[in-house]
Amino acid sequence: MSAVRLAPMLLRPSTQGAAVLALPVVAFGVTSWLLGIVVGGARAFFTWTIPDAPLYQLLAVVALALLAVPLVTLGGSAARLSARRRDDRLAALRLLGATSGTVLALAVAEATMLTLVGAVLGVLGAAATSPLIGLIPFAGAPLGTSALLPLTWSIALVVAVTLLAASSALLSMRRVMVTPLGVARREQPARVHWLVVVLAVAAVAVVAGAFSSFSSIGAALGVLAMVVVLGIGFGIAMLVLNLLGPWILGVQARIQVRRATTPARLIAARTVLESPKAAWRQVGGVALVTFVGVIAGVGSALMGDGAGGADAILAGDIRTGLVITIVGSFLTVACTVGLQQAAAILDGRALSRALHHAGMDVATMDAARRWAVLSPLLLVVAVSAIAASALVVPLLGMALLFEPIAIVITAGVVVAGVAIVAAGLLTTRPLLRRVATA
Amino acid sequence: MQAIEARAVRKTYGPTTALAGVDLAIAPGEAVAIMGASGSGKTTLLHVLAGIVTPDAGAVHLATPAGVVDVARLSDGERTRLRRERFGFVFQEGMLVPELTAVENVALALMLVGSSRASAIQEAAMWLGSLGLAGMEDRRIGELSGGQAQRVAIARAQVTGASIVFADEPTGALDSVTSGEVMTALLGATVGRGRTLVLVTHDEQVAARCTRVVRMRDGLLVDAGASQAGPARPAAGMLPPPAPGTAVGAPSHGWAAQPQAAAYAQPVAHPQSAAYSQSAAYSPTSAHAPAPVAPTQQQWQGRA
Repeated sequence: MSAVRLAPMLLRPSTQGAAVLALPVVAFGVTSWLLGIVVGGARAFFTWTIPDAPLYQLLAVVALALLAVPLVTLGGSAARLSARRRDDRLAALRLLGATSGTVLALAVAEATMLTLVGAVLGVLGAAATSPLIGLIPFAGAPLGTSALLPLTWSIALVVAVTLLAASSALLSMRRVMVTPLGVARREQPARVHWLVVVLAVAAVAVVAGAFSSFSSIGAALGVLAMVVVLGIGFGIAMLVLNLLGPWILGVQARIQVRRATTPARLIAARTVLESPKAAWRQVGGVALVTFVGVIAGVGSALMGDGAGGADAILAGDIRTGLVITIVGSFLTVACTVGLQQAAAILDGRALSRALHHAGMDVATMDAARRWAVLSPLLLVVAVSAIAASALVVPLLGMALLFEPIAIVITAGVVVAGVAIVAAGLLTTRPLLRRVATA
Repeated sequence: MQAIEARAVRKTYGPTTALAGVDLAIAPGEAVAIMGASGSGKTTLLHVLAGIVTPDAGAVHLATPAGVVDVARLSDGERTRLRRERFGFVFQEGMLVPELTAVENVALALMLVGSSRASAIQEAAMWLGSLGLAGMEDRRIGELSGGQAQRVAIARAQVTGASIVFADEPTGALDSVTSGEVMTALLGATVGRGRTLVLVTHDEQVAARCTRVVRMRDGLLVDAGASQAGPARPAAGMLPPPAPGTAVGAPSHGWAAQPQAAAYAQPVAHPQSAAYSQSAAYSPTSAHAPAPVAPTQQQWQGRA
């Protein structure tokens, strides 16, 4: 009962500052919006009846799988973030004598309400922006209204996101009840045996091989087999990446700590080294999409080369899908970065304020956190792109010779993606300025 | 010549008057403690002196090698630069960058004013050593105790050779023993080297170790304090006795870093001092008689 009476008091913005409540709403709003667009777009292909439909559906599933990683990361950080905001206040409530049951009920109630608001706004946003997605041409005609997520799907999406957030609130509360907050913990980067690296590279090569020849697998075994092969391939690739990613970022950060000559670079490198896993969680979502993007970009360039008619249309469509998937992934990562930065700024407000009092420019603080994101991002993109290029080096040469424009487009999209993340970082600069100079 | 001087400084936040015309001159080498109840304006005064906040009216004259500067007239960027280059800061909770090591936190202050990393680290390590933190250079902040972290903060505040150090409740989060040790370090690093220290504190024991105690109430200086001859003495046994009021009820423990003395002088919750701070917090405008000479704690206990 007390939970019911306390909830409205705790949710009143004036007591906490609007940002505390707005942040989770925005987080789940953005997650639902991107999810709505992605699912809506992919679903459009499953309404098709043209002969090529199965191939398009397969490609849509591939795109979905690629987008799933950054989207899950975004949702996860939205949940973590809203849990952390909540804990500060609920801890005070526990001190005042609220039972853990009351606190738990409050936590779940608040998470559910805020997520519900965010998810509804997000789905509405997806519906509002679906006409733009509908303009994108596939198989010679715009997608049109089929890109709009039907009402039942929208409701299902809202319910799913809300349920996930509520259950994550339940789980996180249990963990947080023991762990004191804000305790900076140094994660020892996982030690990686050289054999693992060799196996990892081999696994990636197998996956890449499966991708580059998957049309022949499809011809031999059918679409379902292709999906299974793809699924296994993704699984292996993700495992390998999650093992290697943090390790590589840790190695880079250690080198940067040694070489840093400016305060901003030193703080940035130390921030990454503090938890390479956290840095990987932020930017790792673009690794696979960059890798696959380069290979598919080369493939589509060769497919379209010289061929007319249906093949050329298909090659063009693959390129369109590729651009959307890459941009979508980077956009999702940009949202994740923006949210996590906003949360980090709010959490570290006392320190930023003190450092500013002691004479540190806001520009220096801003540069420090910018490098802490962009430096791992650039490394991830570079390593993925170089690894993919190395795998298809003969094909890349041919593509550059016969269809350079396709390669330029692929590279341009990746560069634009990095720019989107940089722009996402910029959006939190006013918040940092406000907090530091308060 | 004064190191820094506030003249008729006023500052209001909305309906609240934080400073209602304050004059305060601080000579080089002084250690000035600003005391007063919550809401009396002491932190605002510190912020105005340090150029963190600009006053609505009045001036803050700072002596620099290039002549006297009115801090209140400087632009935001100029004040930030001034704080970085000429002032040092010690906060209540250390406020060190948790990702950096102890020595990097100190070196950061030097790097921010243009030192190379190598020389900054070298200088910072020397400072840590002189504050008894040798061997802890590569520890992270989370691996230091509160007192150690505060000494790192003191090193950071002085490594640039700042002429004035501002400290806002530097011992507020520490127990009385550690508090005494940190004060010894702070005084030694500042007035012990001819620098000036301005600190805000609630703690009479801490204030008693400074060369001057000024008291504020309702945005006004109610006692500008008499400066003790000579600089504050960081060494034990040479300081003036604690303010008379501090002995009331509470076991009188030496402020010094003497473990035995402090062992039986653990901070005991003193009902009357708690009442003092509460009544002061709740009725900052209560009409106390103006303090005649040196206010005693009885006066501050007021309506308790």
